[in-house]
Amino acid sequence: MNRFYKSIAVFLVILFSISSVNAATLTDRLKDGHKLRLGFGTAVPWAYAGDNGEALGFVNMIALTVLEEMGITEHETKVFEWSGLIPGINADRSDMVTGGMYILKSRCANMNFSDPIGVFGDAMLVPKGNPKNINNYADVISTGAKLVTGAGFNTVEAAKRYGVPESQMMLVEGEVGILAAMKAGRADVAVQTFFGAKEHEEKTGGAFEVTDPKLMPKETLNVVGIGFRKTDVEFRDNFNKALAKVMANPAKMLERAGEYGYDKAQLPPPEMSTEWACSTK
Amino acid sequence: MSYFAFLSEHGTTMLLGSVTTVKVLICATILYVIISIIFGLMRISKNPIIQGVATVYIEFFRGTSLLVQLFWFYYVLPFFGISLEAFTAGVVAIGMNFGAYGAEIVRGGILAVPKGQWEGAFALNFTPAKRMRKIIIPQIFPIILPPAANLTVELLKATALVALVTVVDLTFEAKQINAITWLSAQCFGTALLIYYIISRFFLVPFLRWLEVIAARKVGKEKI
Amino acid sequence: MNAEWRWDFAIEILPQMLLATLNTILAAGIGYAIAAIIGLLFLLGQRTPIKIINMINREIVEFIRSTPLLIQLFFVYFVLPQFGITLSAWVCGMITIGLHFGTYLSEVYRGALEGVPKTQWEACRALNFSTFYTYRKIVLPQAFPIAIPGMGNYLVGIFKDTPLLSTIGVAELFHAATAVGGYHYRYLEPYTIVGLIFLMLSIPAAIWIRKIEKNVNLSQGKIKKEQI
Repeated sequence: MNRFYKSIAVFLVILFSISSVNAATLTDRLKDGHKLRLGFGTAVPWAYAGDNGEALGFVNMIALTVLEEMGITEHETKVFEWSGLIPGINADRSDMVTGGMYILKSRCANMNFSDPIGVFGDAMLVPKGNPKNINNYADVISTGAKLVTGAGFNTVEAAKRYGVPESQMMLVEGEVGILAAMKAGRADVAVQTFFGAKEHEEKTGGAFEVTDPKLMPKETLNVVGIGFRKTDVEFRDNFNKALAKVMANPAKMLERAGEYGYDKAQLPPPEMSTEWACSTK
Repeated sequence: MSYFAFLSEHGTTMLLGSVTTVKVLICATILYVIISIIFGLMRISKNPIIQGVATVYIEFFRGTSLLVQLFWFYYVLPFFGISLEAFTAGVVAIGMNFGAYGAEIVRGGILAVPKGQWEGAFALNFTPAKRMRKIIIPQIFPIILPPAANLTVELLKATALVALVTVVDLTFEAKQINAITWLSAQCFGTALLIYYIISRFFLVPFLRWLEVIAARKVGKEKI
Repeated sequence: MNAEWRWDFAIEILPQMLLATLNTILAAGIGYAIAAIIGLLFLLGQRTPIKIINMINREIVEFIRSTPLLIQLFFVYFVLPQFGITLSAWVCGMITIGLHFGTYLSEVYRGALEGVPKTQWEACRALNFSTFYTYRKIVLPQAFPIAIPGMGNYLVGIFKDTPLLSTIGVAELFHAATAVGGYHYRYLEPYTIVGLIFLMLSIPAAIWIRKIEKNVNLSQGKIKKEQI
């Protein structure tokens, strides 16, 4: 039996030696030659992966432009479910969240944000012609329509705040889940970002249409930032410095991000800062 | 888009994903076989502590769902200072889960060897190690291989779950292509087909071959 | 998200999780019922004396058994609407689980029927019993106890595969954990609670199945009371 104990001991050693505790900060780790890991979901045109896992979408383009400004040219990508993005970065599964997350109070408590990279609004996606005439949360409640959105989306919080009962809500995984639910008629209306909705309108050849974002409550206008681990303050500050440079001279960034529909109108106004969003949103 | 056009555009991506799936399959199979043997032996130990540890392990991993274990390994374990790469986390979760099922097969196999064989070896004054190696183990293989083969096919199917923790395997690629092209029938259909081909034309024949070899060794089947 | 376990958060989400557990049990129950029926259909397909049907049946069973449930779920959920068949996530999930485990249950049924000694069939034929009578009075009562362990194991198996339903948006326990974790950005407590709930349900279920197995064997006279 002695050999048997030995083999168990060896096995346990092997099992635990492949694990490692990552205490070093991101700056140190990049110096050691580790590749920066970008974490995002599948949200066209915000951030998504191409056929070979390459980072696409305008948030990734902005992030990559800033990283190049910082002298970081190498990176790898990790594609998460939307709801796994923040738990993922905190569990050391990625180093930056470039999914295009709105800066919200509850998120600021769990992740640090860069300065805003743009200002965006939400919109509703409805079948062509908007048969139920739904333009905002109040309409959803009064018509009793089934509202679909993504698990972990800011819209879950917003819908609850505007009083949409849980029985009317349907939570799915990300943008893909939303369009699947709409296409199959499992929901009457979807709420998502204006960009996401626009993409879905185009992808379905107009089977669905986007409602006028101006009809949404004004408070649903949000700023987007890049997410960092709470412990990587130094890296975040450096990122912000480089971001400021890019924003001051945005032509190159606008060209790259513009391919995905991002334009000057999205440039964040100075009064909508990360501190402001973290404390009020 | 015709199916042929779909294949020429996305076929390579799916094949690359399949390579990862096969890698997960091989690594997880090796791990689960090792765990099965260790815990299967522990399970028949006369020492109540060793036996207790094995029982708790087996009941724990069989009692909770693989997906829950996988997510726990991936998202929660890092907070206890153990941070496995997504691929490793997937392999370890699958290996440990299937090891619990495999341990029961090993235990059953050892107990199924007739008592007379143990007594005979004992009478011949074999050491326990020699008894196991020369007498018991060769007889165990024909007994445990058929259920172990079924378990391994189940394991191939279970590898699909690693796609949910960012491992870029066949399932992940299928989901990704579906998200961007919305050619659901083509991409999920192709994925199903590839799993079927791996299982039916590679994995199962290999396992059957092992069974035949094992049976031959103890003279249960004529050549 | 901090490393420490937060009791207040765990207690706050517990009612929600327990409520979702009911959905998990419901999903497992309905899925199992469908699987049991589909299993019978596959068994029928296998036992019909028409060769071509046997063959098709075998290939279908083989295909379903060797491909992952996860992709089957995606297939049913995403592809059927393209052909104009729109089913809710629940119905998609139940159909897929029913089909997937139906193939396994048909094997259990087959094994049980083959476990009844041939002589029993021959005796029935000699006594000129009708097929229906033979099945009802002679074969099934003997096949049933053989099938019990397998049927029980797959009930637990289905129960443990219900978390996969969360990937298509069925609001069961795992979905609730992901949703609540995504909302509060904490996965430690939700996933740990899910694991504990699964343990608390599946271990008693396994013990219960073992007990039924023994009772059935006892009533069939297969083992004596002293042996238990």
